[in-house]
Amino acid sequence: MARKASPARLVIALSVAGVLAVFLLYTSIAGGGNPSLAPSELAGRTGDVQLAGLVVGPVRGDAHDGGLRFRLRDISGESKTSVRVLYTGSVPDLFKVGRHIVVDGELRKGTFVAEPSSMITKCPSKYAPKQSDSST
Amino acid sequence: MPELGRAALLVTLGLSVYALVAGAMAAHLGRRRLARSAQNALVASFATTAVAAAVLLGALLRNDFSFTYVARTTSEALPTAYTISAFWGGQEGSLLLWLLVLSGFGAAAVSLNRGWARDLIVWVVPVFAAVSTFFAFLLVAVASPFATQAAPADGAGMTPSLQNPYMLAHPPLLYLGYVGLTVPFAFAIGALLSRKLDERWLIATRRWTLFAWAALGIGQLLGSHWAYVEVGWGGYYAWDPVENAALMPWLAATAFLHSVMIQERRGMLKVWNVLLVILAFSLALFGTFLTRSGVVNSIHSFTQSAIGPWFLAFIAVVVAFSLGLVFWRVPQLRSPTKLESPISREAAFLYNNLLLLALCLAILWGVVYPLLSEAVRGEAIVLGRSYYDFFLRAFGLPLLLLMGIGPLIAWRRASLKSLATTFRWPTGVALLAGVVLLFLGAGSSVPGLVAYTFSAFVLATIVMEFARGTRARKALGATTWPGAFRSLISRNRRRYGGYVVHAAIVMLAIGVAGSSAFDSVAEAKLAKGESMTIGDYLLVYRSLDERASANATEIRATLDVRRGDRDLGTLQAGKNAYTIEQQVSNEVGIRSDRLTGEDLFVIAEQIDPDGSIYFRVFVKPLVNLIWLAGLVFLVGSLITLWPDRREQRRLVARASEVGIPATP
Amino acid sequence: MTLALLLAAALAVVCVVAVALPFIREPDPESDELAELDDDERRRLELLEGRDRALAALKELEFEHRTGTVSDEDYRAQLGSLRRDAASALQALARESGEVRPADGRN
Repeated sequence: MARKASPARLVIALSVAGVLAVFLLYTSIAGGGNPSLAPSELAGRTGDVQLAGLVVGPVRGDAHDGGLRFRLRDISGESKTSVRVLYTGSVPDLFKVGRHIVVDGELRKGTFVAEPSSMITKCPSKYAPKQSDSST
Repeated sequence: MPELGRAALLVTLGLSVYALVAGAMAAHLGRRRLARSAQNALVASFATTAVAAAVLLGALLRNDFSFTYVARTTSEALPTAYTISAFWGGQEGSLLLWLLVLSGFGAAAVSLNRGWARDLIVWVVPVFAAVSTFFAFLLVAVASPFATQAAPADGAGMTPSLQNPYMLAHPPLLYLGYVGLTVPFAFAIGALLSRKLDERWLIATRRWTLFAWAALGIGQLLGSHWAYVEVGWGGYYAWDPVENAALMPWLAATAFLHSVMIQERRGMLKVWNVLLVILAFSLALFGTFLTRSGVVNSIHSFTQSAIGPWFLAFIAVVVAFSLGLVFWRVPQLRSPTKLESPISREAAFLYNNLLLLALCLAILWGVVYPLLSEAVRGEAIVLGRSYYDFFLRAFGLPLLLLMGIGPLIAWRRASLKSLATTFRWPTGVALLAGVVLLFLGAGSSVPGLVAYTFSAFVLATIVMEFARGTRARKALGATTWPGAFRSLISRNRRRYGGYVVHAAIVMLAIGVAGSSAFDSVAEAKLAKGESMTIGDYLLVYRSLDERASANATEIRATLDVRRGDRDLGTLQAGKNAYTIEQQVSNEVGIRSDRLTGEDLFVIAEQIDPDGSIYFRVFVKPLVNLIWLAGLVFLVGSLITLWPDRREQRRLVARASEVGIPATP
Repeated sequence: MTLALLLAAALAVVCVVAVALPFIREPDPESDELAELDDDERRRLELLEGRDRALAALKELEFEHRTGTVSDEDYRAQLGSLRRDAASALQALARESGEVRPADGRN
């Protein structure tokens, strides 16, 4: 049997190329994701972003009626800036003052208006060492 | 007693280091007694780890809060079962569990294969010992479970959402999976180091890999079910990095399980298989790292811990060493057989591998992208749900179709004519199903409809295979149809067990498609007596009650459920307020329809002081197929894992023909 | 406290004994060589695997023909080449065992 370049090899190579094409297709259609920022980095940013921070009280309002209002500040505690957040939609049960949360939305006129029901709370740290200021 | 635990771990570390050094020396120099000594050290390390584990377990059961770990993860009021689960609930304990399982598997793998693969074992011992040394080192020097303190009056308690039966089983199963992947890895590296690149490493580890893979699969399903019923946001998978951490090694292991069949059958893909097992193991380590180090923002994220950098370094060493070894031995891994046709079973398995890996790498990319973009651009960019959904469809749907095609294509080369004949009936079934579903309204989601149609195709092929196989066995002389069916499965456990697993995956696909592509949601704020509708359900909010349990105050709203003119009983949804832990948890109300597999899912999102409640309600079609798929998956895995005496006899005979010493 | 230390010491002693056992049992053995496969044996093992693979392929072809996965045409087409593979594997094995006689006294 003549040993030419096997068509099978070619097909496999084309399949790999096909898979890569799928990746390229996605990035060209959907572009990248959303930047994940800390409250101190939010100033002046436009467009959809993901905000990750520590919940600062007081928490006022109703997420299902007019919106829940609270403030978020940096998790690392280095910066003192806090951002005003207006949140509507489902509130995870772990939400409370002092919890780390992540929420999508955009900054509008000084208030971070969250996308409805986009809040995710971080489970209390089971794997981290207990810190003295109990930031979990 | 903590001193005993600490000492036991120290001895474990010593034994692991000895097994590593002595084992490597014995293998390299060919010293029999030293090799045996290293093997004994590996087995002994299981005993010492077990002692350490017993100390921790004892402390937990005694509520000994002088152990910092016990105080941090339990409380007096915690029920015993959950107190036990606190063993793996925290960082240090979970590392100890890992080491326990690792040393147990190492001892077992080495002992069980002593008979017929002794020359392989000599190299497996030091590789296992290397991994064991790492974990023992972490436990001794970086994250010890035996730190002590002045005992407080009561412990901090366990996070309420972890006090759930699923959380008893989910982490141990995942560990069995992650650690289980160490066995094929150790054998592969051992085979490379010893240049024994025959099939034996594959055969020795096949059941281990299957077991680890099955454990990972079931562990993930349990985790998803927990998320669905306990965390209760209405979903079961959020593409969270910690969830992906278990999915990625599972996908790589799935690819490995398939491509192994090509090597056994045609002797091809030796390099590929070794690379796959290295990838699966590295992903298991990476997954452990992700879950623990707080590197990636996720809902499971834990603040930066000390073990993160160690893990990363270990993974880097493992990958570099393994890849270097592969490069070095590549000339010996070449096989004479080539792929003959792009339309053959070998090719189908290759496409399967390609798609599985592509999905795995897409998920990996999504997980590390925030880290990479932060390192490169100074800004962490997060890829959302839509990213993962896109690739799940792009790669998952063709994979679904392949599940039906692969088993029925001939090896080496399949003619298009034979394909047309074989697939005539399943294609017909699939098209019919597609048309019927279109009429039923499934056209509202194209990917959903495609998933259903492909699923019908695959199910048809599986039914066809079982039917034809049973008929063939009957023709061969089986007396009854059930007898024929039984003998068919017992003589071809891997094939038909595999078909059952495929059926489980198809059920999973149908359940996922139904509950994500065709679900509906409604929200309303109801006062007592008010009602809301969703689909053809009518829910009436009747009453609100409060009761006390052992460690929480439980608030429940009761709703009447009706569909059309039928009374479907009541549903309860509400919240639990845990006293010691100072946390509130959502307790969702679920009504599962036996006939359709559909769920009515009620979340009492916000309970106002005046008794009015903001409800969020889902209808999730076919979602219970997902959990049922788990059972079918378990059955299929058991069938393939079942010991095959005929095969065992053949292997022993082959070994003795060559003169491999069969006595221990 | 002392109980813990005693237990720990006992544990350590047991482990040391376990590790030293092979040397204690055989302080002066005839051969300390690790039983290894030499090149002849390795080749023989490869041939055995080749033979088993060829026979398994034949068996699978029969099975799949019986269940209808493989058509009569394809069956006839493949049978010849698979039979040839099996025959050559068996021949290679026979040649190997003819050439190499296992040394006496090997276990």
